[in-house]
Amino acid sequence: MIEYLLSAMILGLLLHGIHRKVIARVQGRPGPPIWQELLHTLKFLFKETWIPKTASQGLYVGVVALALAIWSAALILLLTGGSLLLLFALYLIHKIIEHGTGLSSGSQYSKFGAIRSVISAASELPLLASVALLYLFTGSLMISDIEAYQVINGPLLIPAFPAAIALYMVILSKIHYGPFSIIEAKELVSGYWTEHFGVWRGLLNAAFGLKTFVLLYTFVMVFIGPIGLPLTLLAILILMITLSFVCAVTPMLSPYDSVSIQTVTTGLIAIYIIYLGVFA
Amino acid sequence: MIRVFDQGIEGAGLFMIEFGDIVPYFSVYTATLFTFAIIFTLLATFSIPEKQMDIIFGGDAYYAKEIKPQDLRFQRFVAIACGTATLGAVVTGDIFNFTLFAAMIGITNIGIVASSRSHHVLNAAYQYGIVAMIACVPLFGGAAMILATTGTLSIWSLAGIGAAPILAKILLLLGVMGEGMAPFYIGKAEITRAQGAPFILMVHVSSLLLFLRVVEIILVI
Repeated sequence: MIEYLLSAMILGLLLHGIHRKVIARVQGRPGPPIWQELLHTLKFLFKETWIPKTASQGLYVGVVALALAIWSAALILLLTGGSLLLLFALYLIHKIIEHGTGLSSGSQYSKFGAIRSVISAASELPLLASVALLYLFTGSLMISDIEAYQVINGPLLIPAFPAAIALYMVILSKIHYGPFSIIEAKELVSGYWTEHFGVWRGLLNAAFGLKTFVLLYTFVMVFIGPIGLPLTLLAILILMITLSFVCAVTPMLSPYDSVSIQTVTTGLIAIYIIYLGVFA
Repeated sequence: MIRVFDQGIEGAGLFMIEFGDIVPYFSVYTATLFTFAIIFTLLATFSIPEKQMDIIFGGDAYYAKEIKPQDLRFQRFVAIACGTATLGAVVTGDIFNFTLFAAMIGITNIGIVASSRSHHVLNAAYQYGIVAMIACVPLFGGAAMILATTGTLSIWSLAGIGAAPILAKILLLLGVMGEGMAPFYIGKAEITRAQGAPFILMVHVSSLLLFLRVVEIILVI
């Protein structure tokens, strides 16, 4: 399993690099090489590291380990066809990681990032709507069942299109430099992880690379189905590039607008779910 | 792999603990929530608190606030109590116990916030306390409605039969949302005035895990 985790981590960091490259090219800049995020992570892993004097030491270190743990668990869950509800839970626990990372250092910059993380809890609502709609279609939340459903009935992307939109927005809200990235906005330096540096930053980078891969892989698995490894990787790449285009042409929203858009999206999907439940 | 309640919702069943007719169960799902609740409770128990940076107005100097251990005694106690209530809420196999644990989480959340001496933070705790108290009505009302309709509050008996009224499920969800509303109140208060880690984090942990558990209960029954 360790080889899967390392591969997913490296692929996730490469996807981050591709993300930055596409954004740069759309904006008319050369951009960094696509392996830049990988190099960043390696660099951080070998830099001098300590814990700030003002930090809550246990939490400061603990959140880094938890970030790695939850996304490793999420990947294993995907590979073993586990419960989508559990994946939803792990995604929500990531919110605690963001919040804990911001609160643990004592710095006001990271604390503001953490507070924004609380108010952007609206970004979880589309995922819940997406999970509910998938349950309505397939009658199960096990990823293996959802895959089996798609083998028989074809990809869920078309019939459950609103759920796909919701999950797409969830991924968009977790991507760097996106319209919903208010928790790591530049006015807060690096937001919630401003004070995590050195090895802590390197490990968080690795965990977030894993997170990106897992979220994109989830999208492909639950909306397109089992299509083999090469096509899955291609679909992940295409998905990442579309996200990068959105990020390149969309300014970062204000916290208020960010929460409003995510809540309205969830509301629309909830209406669609009620319509399906009552009339379909 | 034997799925819990023979439903494709939360993965394999691991084990259960029988306390008479109260049977908490550990599925992959509830065991994961339980594990995270334990980790954060241990962090609240043993971690030293953050020391906030405070700016001295009229200059560019700043200093790290010193927090005396006796100031934190009560906050640490309610944070641990909150973690313990969360542990119960995420594994219980009984809806009445779940509502009790949810109410206890609400009470301890008020305690965590109210242990600050700043009146801004105390205002936030007071407002949240009102919301949490009001939320008890739909929370217990939902459970009462399920009991009146089906004659039981055991998740084991209710699982998969679809006998629980949809209105009761909505009330249960509303109750949990009210009890778990704390992060939105303390979010504002904690920006500058209350130290956040690791105690206030327990508010977020408990609210989130409570929400995740009620989603599972609603789907299962």
